[in-house]
Amino acid sequence: MDMYGHENLRADILIIGGGVAGLTAAISLKEINPELDVLIVEKQTAGYSGKACRGGGVLQYFDFDKITPEQFVEYHVHNIGCHLGDQELLLKYVSMNNHMLDKLVEWGAKLPKRADGSYAVIPTGPMTGIIGVDLDITIRLRRTAEKMGVRFLDKVTVSDLLTAGDKIAGATGYSILDGTFYTFNAKSVILATGSQNYRIGPMWGSGRGDGIAAAYRAGAEMRNPEFGNFAQLVRVRSHREVVYGENYMYNQLDEHITKNFRSGPEPDISSTAIAEWFMQMSMARGPIILKPENHGGSLESMWDRPFGSPFWKLNEEWADKVDEDWEVCPMFIGEQSPVKVDHSMQTTIPGLYAIGDASYCGSAAPGAVPAPPGRNRGSGILNAVFAGIVCAQSAAENANNNSLPPIDKTQVEDCMTRAYAPLLRESGCDAKDVIRYIQKAVGPMERSVYMSDHRIVTALRYVEKAKELAGSMKASDFHDLLACHEANAMVLSAEMQFRAAAMRTESRGWFLREDYPEMDNKNWLKWIIVKKEGDTMKFSTEAVPYDKWPIKPNV
Amino acid sequence: MIDTKHQIIFNAEDCVGCKLCYKACFVDVIRWDEEKNQPVFKYVEDCEHCFWCEALCKKKCIKVIPDFASEKLLQTFDRYL
Repeated sequence: MDMYGHENLRADILIIGGGVAGLTAAISLKEINPELDVLIVEKQTAGYSGKACRGGGVLQYFDFDKITPEQFVEYHVHNIGCHLGDQELLLKYVSMNNHMLDKLVEWGAKLPKRADGSYAVIPTGPMTGIIGVDLDITIRLRRTAEKMGVRFLDKVTVSDLLTAGDKIAGATGYSILDGTFYTFNAKSVILATGSQNYRIGPMWGSGRGDGIAAAYRAGAEMRNPEFGNFAQLVRVRSHREVVYGENYMYNQLDEHITKNFRSGPEPDISSTAIAEWFMQMSMARGPIILKPENHGGSLESMWDRPFGSPFWKLNEEWADKVDEDWEVCPMFIGEQSPVKVDHSMQTTIPGLYAIGDASYCGSAAPGAVPAPPGRNRGSGILNAVFAGIVCAQSAAENANNNSLPPIDKTQVEDCMTRAYAPLLRESGCDAKDVIRYIQKAVGPMERSVYMSDHRIVTALRYVEKAKELAGSMKASDFHDLLACHEANAMVLSAEMQFRAAAMRTESRGWFLREDYPEMDNKNWLKWIIVKKEGDTMKFSTEAVPYDKWPIKPNV
Repeated sequence: MIDTKHQIIFNAEDCVGCKLCYKACFVDVIRWDEEKNQPVFKYVEDCEHCFWCEALCKKKCIKVIPDFASEKLLQTFDRYL
């Protein structure tokens, strides 16, 4: 089977994924103990991959002279998390806000400041603000990590995790350039592989759920998989997001339909806006257009972010060429982030950690809302930084207290056989044939966002079809092999998403069902947990321990 | 996005081989030809039109021409299929 070469690598700590979460963890580990041998493996190029370097370039800000972390948590629990969130973890995230911003600056990130030296904060509501960050944030973090002695391995994708007994032992993967098979042996492994976005939204192309799938296959528990259904209004020709556009939605009768689902200011796009769009379209009152009262001008005029400027300019120029009007339509984004972690970001497999968008909902911190931006603009990068800093302490201790675990050769052989299988098949379907079915399941808003029992069943039929095909995928080269591997991850994510959605017979926060429109505190103050048992995807529930937190639901 | 029809135009003459486009591509569209010391736009059908390869090229060798119509919005209504 070693037809493409085989490399064995060892490290104290293996970090999978070189976006902002992985880089933060690496730097934090070196700050704790410069002697730790830290290796980042990244399927593209660390520092240029992930979402932090190609998004809006904003960081959430809390002015602690005006609000306390406890006040924000209370607001979040009532308005966003809807009592499904872990208040203690959210409080820790909010409390660390100013510290994280200072750390990012110390590590080289460029945050625009005013003449008096203070951060250039733009208020986004009574509780929050945002600060710009230039898009070379991850490149700068990579440079800092390199200077501290972190090792990097680019263009190698991790396909599976290795265990020794009930603990993590390492991982396996392959080069997408020449197919070399890698076996990694490490004391602690940190998954920083992003969320599942199902290859729909163009800027979310990197979130393909392969880390989530690897953790699931290794036996790690998942939590909140049904909250993998974020969507955003986009202009229909350029597919550019219109942030806050939900406030100015009009139908063809010139009715301001925002008033049908929103009586006052809300923090960001809501699933009720998506449902309203769907209902208006179904009543033949569409297409829906926006009438922005004020386009607001560009953030560029307020923030100096020279690195990201050409990127935003090119996007804007092309959009201006094709956007004829303000017709909008929702676009599925996803952001499923279900790897279950504790307060140190450790998964249910000892020694395996999951950070950033891989475990946002799995951490339970946000409650009933998909991963960042999850109605919390600027929280994506900072959640990754938070999780990176928090996990480093525990991952370093675990590495210090343990020797390198043994590697089970049979496990490695099995992983290799599974990884290369699509290459060795003589004929079969294309990975994109599988992905098309998954996209048919998750893409339409009425299946994934404004759900009903019947429509979830329809989605699951597409998932089943994808699952059938996935067993016969054929890859023509290593790029294609990666696509097969990602398609398998999408099948897994979609199955757990829809099966969990079928279980949750209520509406809560972002989670919206037409057939169960009310929040059901009597039966559903629970998290849905998913775990692999043999070949079965096993679902269970876990009661939310709200008794131990200050803000109580009405039960 | 899958099945897109974006185009990437590359002017090989002005390329100085800095590799920034190759590093910047987050979806493996761009490979590197070590002999010619130039990028190869090998998997253009997977381009997500992020424009980073074009934005980072100091010599302005790269032009991404997005075909937005080939990006499917996947909604049930005819105009957004």
